[in-house]
Amino acid sequence: MSKIFIVEDDTAIRSELAELLKNAGYETDTTEDFSATAEAVLNSAPDLVLLDINIPHANGQQVLRDIRSKSSVPVIMVTSHTSEIDEVLSMSCGADDYVTKPYNPTILLLRISAVLKRSAAKPENNTYNGLELNTAKGILGNGEKEVSLTKNELLIFQQLLDRKGEIVTRDDLMTVLWDNEEYINDNALTVNISRLRAKLADIGCDNAIETRKKQGYVLV
Amino acid sequence: MRFRDYIRDRFGAILITLVSWFILMLFFRAFRVRMYISSAATCVLFIAGMIRLLWDYFRRKSFYDSIKNSCDGLDKKYLLHEMIEQPDFAEGRIVYDALCEANKSMCENVAEHRRSSEDFREYIELWVHEIKLPVASLLLMSHNDGESGNKYSEQLKRIDDYIENVLYYARSENAEKDYIIKEVSLKRIFGNIAVKNREELLQRNVNISTEGLDRTVMTDAKWLEYILGQLLGNSMKYIAEGREPEIHISAEEKDGRTVLHFRDNGIGIPASDLPYIFEKSYTGENGRTRSRSTGMGLYIVKSLCERLGHTVSADSVQDEYTDIMISFGKNEYITMQE
Repeated sequence: MSKIFIVEDDTAIRSELAELLKNAGYETDTTEDFSATAEAVLNSAPDLVLLDINIPHANGQQVLRDIRSKSSVPVIMVTSHTSEIDEVLSMSCGADDYVTKPYNPTILLLRISAVLKRSAAKPENNTYNGLELNTAKGILGNGEKEVSLTKNELLIFQQLLDRKGEIVTRDDLMTVLWDNEEYINDNALTVNISRLRAKLADIGCDNAIETRKKQGYVLV
Repeated sequence: MRFRDYIRDRFGAILITLVSWFILMLFFRAFRVRMYISSAATCVLFIAGMIRLLWDYFRRKSFYDSIKNSCDGLDKKYLLHEMIEQPDFAEGRIVYDALCEANKSMCENVAEHRRSSEDFREYIELWVHEIKLPVASLLLMSHNDGESGNKYSEQLKRIDDYIENVLYYARSENAEKDYIIKEVSLKRIFGNIAVKNREELLQRNVNISTEGLDRTVMTDAKWLEYILGQLLGNSMKYIAEGREPEIHISAEEKDGRTVLHFRDNGIGIPASDLPYIFEKSYTGENGRTRSRSTGMGLYIVKSLCERLGHTVSADSVQDEYTDIMISFGKNEYITMQE
């Protein structure tokens, strides 16, 4: 379980953010004393930091510099400042991503998992039932049998695989697809899922994707 | 200043001089002064009078002519006092000093207004960042509440959109440079906007297609995001009934510029309204009949585009389509470096 450190001085946002992250299966840690934010972050040794720019005592970019001088932990800057200047400054201080408030929670979770994935030292497990998913080629197979997936099918399968055994909502899948510039509608998503099912069945994985009524899909 | 006007102005003084000369002549005659003395006196008086008039005329003429010429030639007429020299006669000096004083006071006045509008803009920026905090926590709360929270999220998004309008209106009206022009991917910008408006787009069954967005342009990413957000909002507002709503976003190279087309198949704009849609507070027929419109959206889009150095134009056929085009210039400096 990845641990996320939340640096946020607004108590309402902090507790809601913690709940959101817990629901998404992350462990969270936070601080209420902003006089030594960087030390608190480093002592907690998190896997990722959500850092607000507007915090008391030091500003977020300064804290980020302090963290960067000792650690390369991934940091996502969060701010209500919608100005390009802040973003450029944050990225140059070594932030991994930059999100503006008010953020869409689904997108925030997506960004977090993307940053965590990028920073993961170990190569990620991209196999399902002995079938290897080659994202670069868009091929799923085990050498003998293989199918090629379209970009949409690949994105959907990757998302289901990353959260194998969990329920992935249609909304989550839509967000992933739209975030990758695939602006498809509800019907198209249904069509893509059934095509993906058919392709999985072709290589011997019948009923790999289960539908949970009114909730979403599960890769079993 | 024409001599005739000058003489007309001095008519009273000349009349008095003539009358006093006449009285003088009467005295001379009464005391039987010799003819040649009175002629000599007349000559002296006449020549002196002429010299006085001409000398005075040319002295004034040079001052007033320089005022008039400078005034005609200046586009910023309040700089007039900088253009003229201090005159050497008393009346002129009074005018000159008054001009300087008036100008100084006007400068102070303008500076005060500039300061207060700057303060106001700064406060708006600050206020926007503050108001976004409760909106952000409400969004998280409604998301954490699951299914029942969705209807709140929609309203919260509306609130957030209105907040952005205020922020960008304040930014577009202000002279301060608070943007960064850098190379920006059109694909990324449109992607952000599309994801942000996904729920609404899907609800309305809008088909989105893109073409040629793998280009980069020189702009401020946040500002362009807001601009495209406005255009997308308009397209969703003016959907035509009876056909599937479509939005097609494409970019092309044209005459050394990158042109972004934002085209929808909505109700279009009446030809009589088309030339005015970017004007402040202009609502037009659609704004009056379809939904309440403030007439600010496209005006802000245009002023932001102008500040960033882009040009924006529109093409539309009523009941068929609307195509908003944004044209981005190329950065010669970057091309030169390559």
